[in-house]
Amino acid sequence: MTIVRTQRRWGILAVAILGLTVAACGNPSTTTTSSTIKVGILTTCGGPFAAFEQESFSGAKYALVQNAGGHSQGTGPEDGVSGATVAGHPISISFGCSDATPDKALAEARRLIQNVGVDILLGPLSGDEGIAIANYAKQQPNKTFVNGTSGAQQTTLSVKAPNFFRFGGDGAQWLAGLGKYAYNTLKWRNVAILGEDYSYPWTQAAGFIGEFCPAGGKISKRIWIPLGTTDWASAVAQLPSNIDGFLLLTGGTDTVAVEKDYANSGGNLATHMLGGSSVMDPTSFTVGSPLNGLAGGSPVPLGSTDPAWTSYVNGLESVYPATPKGSLAGSLFTGLYYNGMNAIIQGLKQVNGDLSGNQSKFQQALAGLSLSTPNGTVTLDSNRNAIITNYVVQILTQSDGSLGFKTIQTVPNVNQTFNGYFGPTSAPSRDSPSC
Amino acid sequence: MSLRRLQAELSHRLAGALALLVLFFSIAWVLIRALGLFGGTGNLPQFIVVTLNGITLAGLYFIVASGFTLIFGLMRVVNMAHGSLYLLGGYLAFRLVQQQALNYWLALVLAAIAIGVVGLLMQQIFLRWNQGQDLRQALITIALSVVLADQMIPLFGAEAVTTTPPSGLGGSIGLGISGVRYPTFRLVVLGLALLIGFGLWFGIKNTRFGMIIRAGVDDRAMTSALGINVQLVFAVTFFIGALLAGLGGVLGGTMIALAPGQDASFLLSSLVVVIVGGMGSLAGAVIGALALGLVDQLSGVYLPTGYTNFSILLTFALLVFVLAVRPTGLFGRR
Repeated sequence: MTIVRTQRRWGILAVAILGLTVAACGNPSTTTTSSTIKVGILTTCGGPFAAFEQESFSGAKYALVQNAGGHSQGTGPEDGVSGATVAGHPISISFGCSDATPDKALAEARRLIQNVGVDILLGPLSGDEGIAIANYAKQQPNKTFVNGTSGAQQTTLSVKAPNFFRFGGDGAQWLAGLGKYAYNTLKWRNVAILGEDYSYPWTQAAGFIGEFCPAGGKISKRIWIPLGTTDWASAVAQLPSNIDGFLLLTGGTDTVAVEKDYANSGGNLATHMLGGSSVMDPTSFTVGSPLNGLAGGSPVPLGSTDPAWTSYVNGLESVYPATPKGSLAGSLFTGLYYNGMNAIIQGLKQVNGDLSGNQSKFQQALAGLSLSTPNGTVTLDSNRNAIITNYVVQILTQSDGSLGFKTIQTVPNVNQTFNGYFGPTSAPSRDSPSC
Repeated sequence: MSLRRLQAELSHRLAGALALLVLFFSIAWVLIRALGLFGGTGNLPQFIVVTLNGITLAGLYFIVASGFTLIFGLMRVVNMAHGSLYLLGGYLAFRLVQQQALNYWLALVLAAIAIGVVGLLMQQIFLRWNQGQDLRQALITIALSVVLADQMIPLFGAEAVTTTPPSGLGGSIGLGISGVRYPTFRLVVLGLALLIGFGLWFGIKNTRFGMIIRAGVDDRAMTSALGINVQLVFAVTFFIGALLAGLGGVLGGTMIALAPGQDASFLLSSLVVVIVGGMGSLAGAVIGALALGLVDQLSGVYLPTGYTNFSILLTFALLVFVLAVRPTGLFGRR
């Protein structure tokens, strides 16, 4: 008790001295121009998506190294970045660690905003977390929230907090092109959907259905399995035998469990499965050769030979080396956290780091940004959700025997409503949209 | 018999009857849905595959939980690092098979023995001098599990990995019913679980060492007073218990996948298995594993549509029911 009281006294004294110093300086504008801007990065480091921590961190940090003069303090994504500045303002970064559950993400966001005092929060990673953070953003109108990779549709279509910006688009946009690919190229007519039971896979399903069903296809079964299930064998056993193929909407550990079980039961992943955006991730390569030929949707042009993409991949992996090459940069989590941090840097540059007036100038700058990214130029719609270029990508065995990606289709100008197909009241759910 | 005892007895019976009723209703429900009785559309091949999934998963649960229950039964140590030993065993075998290109079965044996040694060291360094202090030992093992979980991330990465099964066992075999094929390796795990179960049962019933273990479970102090080196028995038991966790990890890493967080989920499964079956009972571990495996797999498929996301809860409903009827578990002793 005494110690606490003494500490508090010291604290009050320190604040008083600081206050006197600031007052003595007399010129408030000097303190504004050189003040440190605190940016929080919120990602998952536990739970089923723990594997994506490295990817999201490396993307966000590489943006600081590349565009804000930061220096990586090591070659691992977990190593810090020092010396980053924007318009003369030093950037300090703090980290939040969630486990893909909204309550944990919210607790970490609160800690970063209210205790650490970050000005801008980059994150979160997963769908339900994003809905929670966007709702929280409404309670913190003088802070700015830039989404990481969370992809639920409601986050920007129905919650639409005025200070929440999503430069990566949502899960439905990330499957643009795949429904038509299934119908026209693979000639699938009867499809089942197997996924984790929460908002992001539902949104991804909506994106697939939005193209596949109007074209004439049918979804005969949707199987939703709780996040955190260890053994997915019985989920796989529920796939009907009379379907042309199924769409897998899982991430991390769950993807590996399903792919392995399906392949071991004699199924052919390349001809009977399509992957959601988190399925098309290098973290699933441990499954090995059965993945060769698997196609799926992605907001980043995995395996593309486009110079903007290759220079990003090479640049990032010269700071954070990865083997095999491309296995760290070639992930939507790396790419979209990189874009998110770049948007923050660009926005801050436009307003010279001025966060005054409840960050209103900065937020206006973000809303009007035309961000050129390795995955194409991105602008925001009136709900501050990105209009993106989307890709259909395929996993292929490379010449050295390792697995890699190839971009097989490009779909430009994908907006969140699929040209009016989705609206603020038609949130995707287990059985919606119907088909 | 006093009125109060009569009341207690009556409520106990009532709980038992209720539990039986729920069990009967659950089985009937699953069968009605699986076979399409009363006008529904059944799917027998799916029912067979899902039931097999439950039984093979139970095999894996049994291998892991038998080590847990062995250690608890003899030493009263609730080894909260049991899940960490599972994960570490899986990772070791993964490294040996995928990176050192070692023969799968050799890697399995090496990894299991290595985990046995880790468990032995754990017991000798941290637990031996806290003998009889159950709470302190549990807390020490929690601390060890946290340390191990964090150390495994930099050592083995946070990404999910999976070990390739030995050649010939990676595919599937036909079951001979409507063209259903089933992953071979899951059946191998079931076979090994049966082998281990039989081995443990035989060892405990028929060998001198098993006799000492049984005597130790019943009365540690008396066993020690008869001149038996209890410390040696404890060390060997901990070695075997940890070895079984490691073995489970190798098989689990091949059958499903390995990732951070699975240490906690397999510890939880082991706890559920031994609480349902009865702490320290091998037969209890068999029944507990079967109950958990089947509930786990069947509930995800046969709960009413729209409620399948409650399947995880059912595992704990099972726990609540068993504890309400038999607080010491199905085969536990008072």
